[in-house]
This record gives sequence, structure tokens and C-alpha cells, in this order.
Amino acid sequence: MSSAIRVSNLSKVFPVTKSYGELLFHPFRKKTVTALRGIDLQIEKGDLFGLLGSNGAGKTTLIKILCTLVLPTKGTAYIDGVDVCKDPGRIKPKLGYVIGDERSFYWRLTGRQNLRFFAVLNNIPQKEINPRVSYLLDLVGLTAHGEKMFKTYSTGMKKMLAIARGMLTNPDILIMDEPTSGLDPMVSRKIKNFIKGTLVNIEGKTVLMATHNLAEVEQLCSRIAVLDRGEVKATGTVEEIKATLSNRKRFVVGIDNFQKDLLEKIESISTVQNAWIKKNTKPFSSTQIEIEIAGEKDSASQLMESILAMGGRISLFQESSFSLEDVFSQLLIPKSA
Amino acid sequence: MIILLRKMKAFFCRDLLSEATYKIAFIMQMVGMLVSVLTYFFLSRLMADIGTHHLEAYGGNYFAFVLIGIAFISYLNFSITGLSGIIRRGQMLGTLEAILVTPTSIPTVIFSSSLYGFFWATVNVIIYLIFGSLFFGLDLGHANLTAAFTILLLTIISSTGLGIVSASFIMMLKRGDPVGWLFVQLSGLICGLYYPLSVLPEWLQTAAKIMPVTYSLEGMRMAILNGYSITQLAPTILTLCLFSIMILPSSLVLFQKALIKAKQDGSLTHY
Repeated sequence: MSSAIRVSNLSKVFPVTKSYGELLFHPFRKKTVTALRGIDLQIEKGDLFGLLGSNGAGKTTLIKILCTLVLPTKGTAYIDGVDVCKDPGRIKPKLGYVIGDERSFYWRLTGRQNLRFFAVLNNIPQKEINPRVSYLLDLVGLTAHGEKMFKTYSTGMKKMLAIARGMLTNPDILIMDEPTSGLDPMVSRKIKNFIKGTLVNIEGKTVLMATHNLAEVEQLCSRIAVLDRGEVKATGTVEEIKATLSNRKRFVVGIDNFQKDLLEKIESISTVQNAWIKKNTKPFSSTQIEIEIAGEKDSASQLMESILAMGGRISLFQESSFSLEDVFSQLLIPKSA
Repeated sequence: MIILLRKMKAFFCRDLLSEATYKIAFIMQMVGMLVSVLTYFFLSRLMADIGTHHLEAYGGNYFAFVLIGIAFISYLNFSITGLSGIIRRGQMLGTLEAILVTPTSIPTVIFSSSLYGFFWATVNVIIYLIFGSLFFGLDLGHANLTAAFTILLLTIISSTGLGIVSASFIMMLKRGDPVGWLFVQLSGLICGLYYPLSVLPEWLQTAAKIMPVTYSLEGMRMAILNGYSITQLAPTILTLCLFSIMILPSSLVLFQKALIKAKQDGSLTHY
């Protein structure tokens, strides 16, 4: 059985528009920017896969290559075993592209008219269009708004209609570009529940979701890839990726007689990577400090001994877990530092 | 074929439904056309006794001459600039990306999107001719409609080729399409839109002969104002056929190359 999406050694280099000066003095010199560098990814059927990266990481470029809108410079990409470059015509019915940009609809047509238009373009047989459109409007909770102009829709409704459009051909694979960007928390949660609960768990779709929202990925995705400046920095389940920081440990240490110079002393301990005062520390109680140390054997007891030796009175010593945000920052820090 | 027809209908309905919501714009366009007809009518009264020998071949009436010109130039302008405008508008609105991920080829998108434009150009022509004949004495009694339709068809085919070339440039350059600009500017200057070619110096008359628009306007005036038949218009028709055979296939090749280049550059949906 082939993977839903398989990408091998995929690279993309874009030409960059030259300035007037460059055109004048170096008219034949090529100016390029590398958007993707040797990307390898494998997404299995039924996965809710998160493509995580900050702005400019290459998420949209990768998505556009998968959707046949951009040709790669090097490498291959397969959707359900079909090469996106060699056979784009066979890719399109297999794929639903949920575009995050609300401008991709006709604002002066109703939601239903928009879906009907895109249904025809997707070669859906005439007699199946109305039932399919009605079903999808119902699925995304827009039946009552189907006859209203798109321009009157709220941002959440527009996002839902985009999902409905992506589902027109009932594709096995859905690719979503920032499906919850710009939404308030309530609507965002509703859409996330819909993606995981309905699309993945009930409809059995494979979903590739590009986002820069760490919490969203942590809540939703079965597997993720962290993309940074066109490179995959890590891939796996959230837990697997968190485990990449297994050589580190983090402790919350409560100190009763905390004084500023103690923090400097703690930072000078050889195994300590990072230390800071927790924001929620209340006055007149013990001060809580978070300390990251290299996760070597006995490092915790060594830390405790060192703090005691510095005169600190420890009232709390607790190991805390890393969040995905910590991992994300860790993965992206080395080059930007 | 049925799928293609359904897609063409879908595009037409999309534009019709969308345009119908701009009611004021529709009324303003009608008023604008009436103002335009009036302007040329009064201009023709001023020119009643001046330079009529240049207009003898067209019945001697400047109003009839210019009205046919401005009515049919809308087809030409739409063919050349409208097709590239469709690409550009789709890029700017953000709808092109959503369309291109469907199993619909770009030529289908362009041709189908142009249907409403051609329909509207036809409505314009009819309204111009109705205004002209009902209120300003335009005589259409001699018109040979078969010949006029033939000329119109060939005009659309040849100028659509130029429009596809123009769309190719827009796809690559986004703005500043040289082909559309050149043909639209030159059609007003040297192709006999506002005045007969005979008023031009000889070298400009020669330049006008390499423009398909020149033959389109000439043939259309002869068919409508003088009632020329297809046989009488054979040289004009053959010339337009020749332009069509040369321009259309080469424009499709250029378009395909532009499409691949835009996909390589990642600029297909940028603006």
C-alpha cells in the first residue's frame, strides 16, 4: 500500500526579482532564493499530519508543489503513488486543497453558488452537484447561510466554506494551509474539532495541515514535521519530537531565601544550560526557578547539592516536561542565534 | 465535450450573477454609451462638409463610419486585453489558485472566462447600433449580416490569438504586457478606427496593413454600410484567415511555455 503523500529529496529554488541597479550592472547574474532543501517526508493514510514552521519556512511552497501549482527544482513528490510532476491530471481528483486565503471565493456569489461553480470545475456529474453541495453545507454547518452572499460571511464561516470546497470531490487527502488563522478561540476550536473529529476520525481522510500554531499541532496532529528555512528539522509524533530533547531535563526549584545573586551562581554550574525565575512567583513565598540541565546521570542530585552548597533553602524540587514550543525553539535556535 | 460546455456555462453564469449585483455600474455603462454616441454624432455634424471625399467609400457619413468603428472595436479590445485581464484579475482576487487546483486546463479557464466579455461586447454593439439607427439616422438597411458575421468571427479568432500572446506576457510579467498595449494603442492610431486610412501618410498606411484590426474594421464597414457580400469581401476574409492561421497556433505554443515558466518560477498565482 502506497503512502498518502511521499516526498523525496525535494528542493525548490525561486528566481528573485532584481533591483534596477542589479539589472543595470549585472544583467546576466542570476539571483535566487532557496525555498526548500532536500525535503523528505512520508505521510501515511489516515494521518493528521502537521507541517509546522514559522513564516518563510517553506510550508506554502511545499503545499503548492503537492497541489501541482509549482514545479520543484529537484526531487520527487507522490500523492497516493502518483507523481505530481509527471501526472498532475491524476493528482487533482485525489486531493482537496483548502486554501486559507478567503479571497479565493467570489464574494458577490452566495456560498451555494460558489460551491456549485467549483463543483462543475471538478467534473462532478450534473445530477450529483446539488445533493453534494447540500450535504457539504450541512456538514460544515452552513445550510442556513447557503443562500447568503459570501461577502456577508464571518471569517469562521469563510474557513468552513473553504473546507467544504476542498471536500467537493470527496478526496482521500486534504491539504490545509493555515485553516484556523485569524479566528477567535471559540471558532478555532470548532474548526479543529471538525478537522479531527469529523474529517479524520469519521470520514477517514488524510489531512496535511500547515500551521505555525504550536498548540494547534500539539492538540490535533498524530505526526508532525518541523520545517525551518526550507529544511525538515524533525519529524515524528509530538512525543517523539519532544524526546529529541531527551538529553536535557527541566526542574522547577522552589527556594525560600532566594536572592538575585543566587540565580547567577546557579547559571554558573557546569551542567546548567539555562535558568530563569518563573513569572508566576508570588512575593513572600518561596521563589520558583526553572532550571534546564544536561540530562546526565546524577545531574539532578548534583544540582540539588550545588544549590544547597550555595546556601539556598530548597522547598520544592520537581521535574517538569518540555512543551512542543520548547522543542520548536530549540530546533530553530542554533542557526538564528 | 459535455464537460467543457458545462464549464463554459458555469463561468458564464458566474460572471453574469456577479455582474448583475453591480446595478449602478450597469446603468452608468448604458449612459456612457449614449454619451459616446452623442459625442460622435455632434462631431459628425461639424465634419459634415469637411473631408467627405475620404469617406466616400463608406457612404460619406462620418457618424456611420465612426459608430461602426467604436462598436466593433470593443470585440477587439476585449479579445486582446480581456483575456490577459482574466489572468491578472484571477491573480489579484486570489481565485485563480482555487480554479487551477481543479481538473480544468488554463486554456479552458481563459476561453470560458471570456464568454461573458464577448457576450457583453455583443450587447454593446447592438445597443450602439440601436441608438444610432433609432435616434441618429444610422442607415442599416443595406447591411449584409452574413458577411458581417463572418468578418466578426475571423476578427475574434485572430484577435484571440493576440489576446493569448498578451495573457502569456501577463502570466510571466504580471504587469506591462507589451503586446496588448501595442495593439490597442496602434488600433486607435493607424487602423482606421476614428478616420479612414486615406488620411494617413503612406508609410503609416503601409504599417496599418500588418495589423489584422485594419482588415476587420474595413470589412465590417463594407458589410454593414455598403452591404458587401462574402464574395466581394473575399480578399479581406482571406487576409483575416491568414492572420488567424499564423497567430492562433503560435500563441498557444507561447502560452504553454509561459505556463511552465510560471510554474517553475512559482509566479502562477502571484500578482
